[in-house]
Amino acid sequence: MAVENVKRIDPSRIEVPLDYKPGMKVRGVIYVDEVLEQDLEPQSIDQVANVAMLPGIVQSSLAMPDIHTGYGFAIGGVAAFDVREGIISPGGVGYDINCGVRLLKSNLTKGDVAPVIKDLVAALQTNIPSGVGSKGRIRLDAGNEKKLLIKGARWAVEQGFGHAEDLERTESGGCLDGADPSLISAKAYERGRAQQGTLGSGNHFLEIQFVDEVYDESAANALGLFEHQITVMIHTGSRGFGHQVCTDFLEVMEKAVSRYKIELPDRELACAPFGSPEAENYLAAMQAAANYAWANRQCIMHWVREVFGSIFRMSPAQLGMQLVYDVAHNIAKIEEHVVNGRKTKLIVHRKGATRAFPPGHPELPDIYKPLGQPVLIPGDMGRASFVLLGTEKAMKETFGSTCHGAGRVLSRHQAIRKAKGRAIWREMEDRGIIVRSAGRETLAEEMSEAYKDVSHVVDVVHNAGISRKVARLRPMGVVKG
Amino acid sequence: MERFEVLDIAGDVGLKVYGGDERELFVHAALGMYSLVASAEGILEDREVTVSVKSGSLEGLLVSWLNELIFHFDAYGFIGKRIEITRFVSPLAVSSGGAGTASEGDFLLEASVFGETFDPIRHEGKLLIKAATYHRLSIRREGQHWEAVVIFDI
Repeated sequence: MAVENVKRIDPSRIEVPLDYKPGMKVRGVIYVDEVLEQDLEPQSIDQVANVAMLPGIVQSSLAMPDIHTGYGFAIGGVAAFDVREGIISPGGVGYDINCGVRLLKSNLTKGDVAPVIKDLVAALQTNIPSGVGSKGRIRLDAGNEKKLLIKGARWAVEQGFGHAEDLERTESGGCLDGADPSLISAKAYERGRAQQGTLGSGNHFLEIQFVDEVYDESAANALGLFEHQITVMIHTGSRGFGHQVCTDFLEVMEKAVSRYKIELPDRELACAPFGSPEAENYLAAMQAAANYAWANRQCIMHWVREVFGSIFRMSPAQLGMQLVYDVAHNIAKIEEHVVNGRKTKLIVHRKGATRAFPPGHPELPDIYKPLGQPVLIPGDMGRASFVLLGTEKAMKETFGSTCHGAGRVLSRHQAIRKAKGRAIWREMEDRGIIVRSAGRETLAEEMSEAYKDVSHVVDVVHNAGISRKVARLRPMGVVKG
Repeated sequence: MERFEVLDIAGDVGLKVYGGDERELFVHAALGMYSLVASAEGILEDREVTVSVKSGSLEGLLVSWLNELIFHFDAYGFIGKRIEITRFVSPLAVSSGGAGTASEGDFLLEASVFGETFDPIRHEGKLLIKAATYHRLSIRREGQHWEAVVIFDI
């Protein structure tokens, strides 16, 4: 069934026109082809329209093909606001601040890892804390937690978790400058104390993969990727620390909305005018949470390297275990973009969307300047994940943004019902994928059928030209929380 | 009477909670949430945690109350089994259910929660709840029957 009142712009995009709802300041644009359009939830389209009503929004209220209904803002949403007259909203970032993905490569091949895959997965599950109620290996005292919030992944490197060269292969160098630890609540500190270096639960994972298809030989070469090569993907965020920062500031923003008399179509869009004390404080606290997340992925990557080193009895350097890149997909950042022909400073909200900067962008490290930014798209545990590159078209159309993953199609209970009487781990093992999970229900909730086919989502952004496919990665071993 | 039911929502999870009065509604909401976090089996009443929350609205109080319990679980691993509300101040109860114009801090809840520290070896963990949200949040009253809907971000 086609959705009413929206117009197809081209094979990759539909428009949510200005008259879709009264009060829209800009149009909405959703990147979906005709097939994914069938899966669109009416409420998520409504959310795209609601965001288009917020003060200072520029160009259009965007959503990526993995769109689904979220808290106020749709997941898969991208919205940019002029810093001079716009707002910042915690709902446009989400509870899991700087949830993101990093990808490690190696010089191992599928054939090297297959005989020891069970040992590897077991060792990863032992060495990297995961699951509900698990405790991390790192205990932060108040002083260290503050340093971590300021330094991000650099703090982890200084503690011996990884190397300086990892930082240049991390979005924003693994650290946002404006983080201010004095704006963090005692509760957030408490939640963060024992959760550094933990994977969490839900859709977060750690995956041993192999490159099974290369779409762009020269780009793959430049990224150091080749067919049958082993890679490791880490998907997690700022854990309870970030959740508490979001909870704390939603309360602050509720008050800001009435203080600044902002009219909202939905109270979940609670926000504050950019530059107001509430906005500045949220930005600085969110940046601290983003830094917590980058340190988290850095620590976990270090233990992944150690596990590979001990199983193969070689140093991680000998195994070529180098970071490819690390991206954030729940974040708000101050960036410069061209709006109506003029360079404009914007606060870009990406909630379930990945930055996809083009070749030559000043924020890219020298190693990736000729190529464009690597974009990492995790799929579900049974199908595939993708490596893409950012493009100039993304810069023009989507504030340099693209999709972030597959997006759910089944609710958790639908998935559990569907999995009843089945041994998901056995089905996966029959397909050559070893899966371990802390929670019994996690595997059912996270099974492939619960998600859209990520290949389809990626094809939409590739065909739309807002990123381009480089390689597909297939899972061999998965650790779930 | 049923205390709560789990609402099935794509991507998230929610609760529909029932109670004979506001206190019971808040107790059932907490127990419902704990049932999503871990299997109640084998959880002991070893420890007591006291909680105090305030809000400008009854709905806000429910979100703050649940977020306080999420905090105690996420920061200290504390999971509750039994709840005693020791103080409940609600202007609504006085003004017989009228919406009123309550100012911030008018709604107050103090409670003792009895439970223990979650142990991944002895207990079965279920969902990692990030927060209770204002999404679709509602509290309704019909006579002696209270009903609330709350959605969690997971």
